[in-house]
Order: sequence, then structure tokens, then C-alpha cells
Amino acid sequence: MSLTLSLHTSPEVPVEADVISPDRLNNLNESALSALPVFHGNVQAKIGDFFKVQGQYNGEIRVEGDLSKVKHIGAGMTSGRLIVNGDVGAHLGAGMQGGKIIVDGNVADWAASEMTGGRIIIKGNAGHMLGSSIRGSATGITGGEIIVHGNARNEAGQAMRNGLIVIGGNSEDLTGVNMLSGTIIVLGKMGIRTGAGMKRGTILSMHDADLLSTFTYACTYHPTYLRLYLTYIKKLGFQIDDAKLSGNYERWAGDSIELNRGEILLYRN
Amino acid sequence: MSENTRTIKNAVCTFCGCVCDDMELTVDLDEHRITKAKNACILGRSWFSEHVIEDRPIAAIGGKEVSFEEAVEESAQILTKAKFPIIYGLSEASVEAQREAVAIADYMRGSIDSTSSVCHGPTGMAFQGVGESTTTLGEVKNRADLVIFWGCNPAEAHPRLFTRYAVTTKGMFIPRGKKDRTVVLVDPRKTASAPVANIHIRPKPATDFEMIWALRALIKGKKVNASIEKVTGVPLETLQDLAERMKNCNFGVVFFGMGLTMGRGRYFNTGALFSMVTDLNEYTHFVVKPARGHGNVTGADQVLTWQTGYPFGVNFNLGYPRFNPGEFTAVDNLARDGADAAMFIASDPASNFPKAAVEQMKRIPVISLDTRRSVTSELAYVVFSTSAWGLNEHGTAYRMDDIPITLRPAFESPYPSDVVILSAIKNRVFELNIDKRSIGMSARSDIGKATLHASM
Repeated sequence: MSLTLSLHTSPEVPVEADVISPDRLNNLNESALSALPVFHGNVQAKIGDFFKVQGQYNGEIRVEGDLSKVKHIGAGMTSGRLIVNGDVGAHLGAGMQGGKIIVDGNVADWAASEMTGGRIIIKGNAGHMLGSSIRGSATGITGGEIIVHGNARNEAGQAMRNGLIVIGGNSEDLTGVNMLSGTIIVLGKMGIRTGAGMKRGTILSMHDADLLSTFTYACTYHPTYLRLYLTYIKKLGFQIDDAKLSGNYERWAGDSIELNRGEILLYRN
Repeated sequence: MSENTRTIKNAVCTFCGCVCDDMELTVDLDEHRITKAKNACILGRSWFSEHVIEDRPIAAIGGKEVSFEEAVEESAQILTKAKFPIIYGLSEASVEAQREAVAIADYMRGSIDSTSSVCHGPTGMAFQGVGESTTTLGEVKNRADLVIFWGCNPAEAHPRLFTRYAVTTKGMFIPRGKKDRTVVLVDPRKTASAPVANIHIRPKPATDFEMIWALRALIKGKKVNASIEKVTGVPLETLQDLAERMKNCNFGVVFFGMGLTMGRGRYFNTGALFSMVTDLNEYTHFVVKPARGHGNVTGADQVLTWQTGYPFGVNFNLGYPRFNPGEFTAVDNLARDGADAAMFIASDPASNFPKAAVEQMKRIPVISLDTRRSVTSELAYVVFSTSAWGLNEHGTAYRMDDIPITLRPAFESPYPSDVVILSAIKNRVFELNIDKRSIGMSARSDIGKATLHASM
């Protein structure tokens, strides 16, 4: 039986629970797990104060309940599976290095910020700053995969250096802002100021977008590698029709204020 | 008016971020009010004349008058018992009061935020993200031959910025005043500042980022897509002309206001402007300054940065300061996170915060320190009446260019100052917290590790 944490008492104020991570819960029995410390606002509390703990860790943790005030779940995790049923608070999987997080619900801001490896699958919507850097830091994610089936808000993939972000719905403003490298695929529409300040990297959208005046049209073509990416994300459960697998894409180069080596690809026909 | 008057020279007006220190105040000592404020602008004159001693209790709990000591005890108990308390305001308090507030936030392990978060907070974030090419207003007065006002309206918000520092005043290298300067205004509206400007550029609202981005490209000699006129409403030739003027001036300065910081894009707007100014320093000397609103909001940023390392939106839940606007700023803490106690210092958030935040204020114990009745003090549980900083109390305020200025009070008030109240609360919170925090210190050092990594 895998380890299950069910929320029995909703926190009044945010709980910081970076202990909810395979690395921290491994090799502990139920009573030891319940006694692990979390912060409820400024007061130190125990996991058992909020969660009913059942089972033993066997490589998988299930967390259940309305976790919208529980922050830092899975932060810094290196391996194992973490399955979250319900909406979850900020900083989910922040600094994650490996393993897999699956969320059946919505996530708040800063999900997967500065992750270096592993995979996060979000079946609902993501908040602002998805896969971004932390305030004051120059680099966002440097590896790993972030798969969002719903929408994402502002600054998805801000300053990312490597890795893959897939957004099945729409993204809002400043998608891939200050991007250094890596790939962002938005199957829906993007907001304004996409790729502002990007140095390298690829942003792909299946819809038209209002681009900044510092991006220049290069050509309309079919990038060979794109079929590989799209086939891959189709396997992850996204609807991608054959026209897009073999279709043509407009290539816009930018941002000319920076290196001008980034590209925004917009599906044409 | 009685004949018992006193004149105070070189007094300081603490209404706006100009913090003009050349006031000549005539004080009626019998009536405890200022009858004349020579040199003050229209805003300063009403600031001085409106401050009279109101007949209010020094302290009240739940609408009932209590002693100062009882109110201090109640406040300290509220703040210590809370799990997620916040302190907000600070922009109309002296540096001395602000530092006491930071100490309270530290001891009670709560959040502290200034009015910057709903004003020039994006500027503080751009300082951190991009850096600032800075200056003092004295340099602007003596050297600036190109002055740009972007998304601000000094004629109505900082009237003496024009006459004392930036436009009409004559300086060492600007002997003829305005004749030697080119003044540019960037604002979609024809504001009261427009007549001062030699060039008024009127972009479509909320297209500042696109316009700055195009200017950056032009300054660097890159091609700009002609669609820029459709997006911003400003012809490419106008932008080219402005870019050339900026590159070829001797000393340029941009003042900017909330038209930029609170428009769509927020800290990316300010960051873009700061980056543009950095780019311009390849060609000439160019600086940028936020036109700050309240008298000592600059001081709030200074004190918080000096004490915690961050300018606003700082949280001490784990015992050390963390900075994250959007997570630890007052509106978010109230509206989303359910802050369970709040202390508002010299500000009136109940009159201007979003509805969800104000609703939360009504559910929790609120402590208010203010010189006068306000919407916030009406809903507060503990209310302190304070003397007016700068008018009744000594202290220090920071001008918008980060210059500290010593205050010269005009008359005495029967009410205690912010500093006295906050210092008393601080001492009591400290005592109460020794008991609250005496356990669990070893576990605390362990729990923060992953979080610390995530918040660096």
C-alpha cells in the first residue's frame, strides 16, 4: 500500500510543508511521519495536525484534500512519485530535481520554479510564474518537464534555461520572458509580450499572437524536429491533429534587443 | 488668530516625496495650528493648515477609551497570539517609527509591507532585477538638459518638482532654466503637466512596455517593426526622434509614476525603463528616478532594505526575512491567505484595498495608528491617536532621491508619537515571544532547508 496523506483539518493560514516529499517521508512509520514538522503561519506544527497518515512509502505518496493553503509540497524532491488530488498552494515542486508529481486539480503560483529535473503533470490550471525563477534570481528552470493540461497565467517559463513546458490551454502575458533556452509549447492562445528579452529557445503556439516590434518574420516552413515533440506530447494525452504534425509554421526571430537567436513558431496551415 | 505666534524657518513639508525643506511656518501657539506656510505649494499649504489637534482619546479598544498601557498590552497580545499577522503602511511615518515596526514584525514573525506594494513596488522589484542608474535631485537641477516625465503628473502630484528641481529652476550648467532644457511628457492623457512639456507623446493606454522596447531597439540601432504605430499609437518617426534626443543629450533623466508601475506589465514596465536607461549610458549620462508619492515611502523602502535586505513584502514566518511580492504583500496576505491580525501604521488601506482584503480586515483584530479618523480606524479594534510626524515630532524622512532630511516640528501635540507607541508594543511583543518561542528551536533549523533553497 502506498503512503496516503488525507487532509482532515483545513489550515486557517498557509502551511509550509516541504516535508511532503518522497525524500523526507521515506523509511518512516506512520507515527514518525505524523510527527514531522510543518509551519502553520509562524507556529511550528506537525503533519498529523492537518493530515491523516496511512500506509508506508513504497515509492509513491498520495496527498488528498483542498491543499490550496499548503505550500512547497514536493519542493526539492529527487525521486519517487507524488500524486496530489485537489487544488494545491504555491511553490509546488519548487527546485525539484527528479521524480514525478501528478496533480489532479489546479496549482497556485510558482509551481516548479527553478526545477532542474523530473516531471510535473498538472491536470487543471496553473497560476502565475509557472516554471519561473525566484525573485532576484537570473535563471528559471534548467531541466525537466512541466505538463499543464489547462491554462497558465503570466510569465510561464520566465528565464528558463532548459527543459520543456507544455500548456494545453492558453497562457497569459509574458510567456517565455527573458528565456535563455529550452522549449515552450502552448496549444491555445498566448497573451501579449511573448518572449520579451529572450536570448535563445523556442516558443510554439497553435494560434496567432501579437508579437513585439523587436521580432522579425523569417520564413514559413515545417521544422523537422517539431514532429518529434508533438508526437511525444500527443502520447501524454493532448489532442493534436495530423495537420499540425505535418503543417507549416511561421518562424519569428528575436528578441533583437538581446541575441536575436530565439524563435517563436506560429502554426499557419 | 491669537498674537502668540512663532515662526519656524527651514521647516520640512512631508506631504509628498519632494520633502521640501525650505518652508517658513507661522504657528499659532494658542490654537495649536499652522496659520501660514511660506514657500509651500498648494498641496503643502493644505497639508499644514489641515493638521489641527482633534479631540480624540489617546487610545481606544472596541470603541471604548482606555489607557495607553492597556492598548499597548492588548496590541502586543493580539500580535503575539496571531499565526499570520501583518504590518502595513509606514509611508507617512518617520524612519525612527519604521525601524520599530520592522523589529515588531521580526519578533512576532509576521509579514511587513509598505504602501509601496500598491504604488512603486514594481520599481523596487526592477531595482533588484535590473539595477538603477540613480541620481539626486540636486544633480537634476544643475545638469539635466533632457527631462522626461513618464506616466506621472507632477503639476498635480509633486508641484515643486518643476520649480525647485527639474524644469524651471536654474542650475550650475543650466543657467537659463527651462530654456536650456527639453521637457518630454509621456502620458495618454493631456494632464495639467502637459503645458510644461516641449514634446508630449501620447501612447495608447497600457502600451508603455511596447514603446520602451521599441526605443531600446532604436537606441541599439536595431530594426523596429513598423507595426509599432498600430500597437502604441505613436509613429516610428516620433520614437526615432526621441531616441536620438536621448542619445545626444548631456544629462538625461526620466521621472516615472504609477502610469507605468500600475499599468499592465508592472515590474516589466519599470524593468524595461531601467534597462533603457542602462543602454543609454553607452552614449551619454542618463539616470532614472521614481516620482514617489507619500512623504516617507522612500524611507520605508530604505529602512526595510537596511534591516531585512528587501524593500517591501517581507515575511518572517520562519524566523528569517523572505521577500516575495505576490505572496507576502499585504493585499495577498489578507485576501487570499487569511491573515489573522493586522497593524496599520499611518495609512488607510480599508479605503483603497480590494473588497476581499477589506472583508478580511473586518473579520480579524486590527490595530490602527493614525493622526486622524479614517475608514481603517473606524473598523479597527485597537485605535491609537498619534501626533503628526514632521509637524509635532522630530525625526527623519527620505526624499524621493534617497536623501535623508531632518524634520523640524512646528508645535506640540498631546498625543504620543508613532515611535513611542511602536517602541512600547515592540518591547511587550519581545517579552511575550520569549515564552512562545522557547520550544522547538532545534527542529526549526531543520525545516527551513528546502524552503530556504526555494526562496533564495
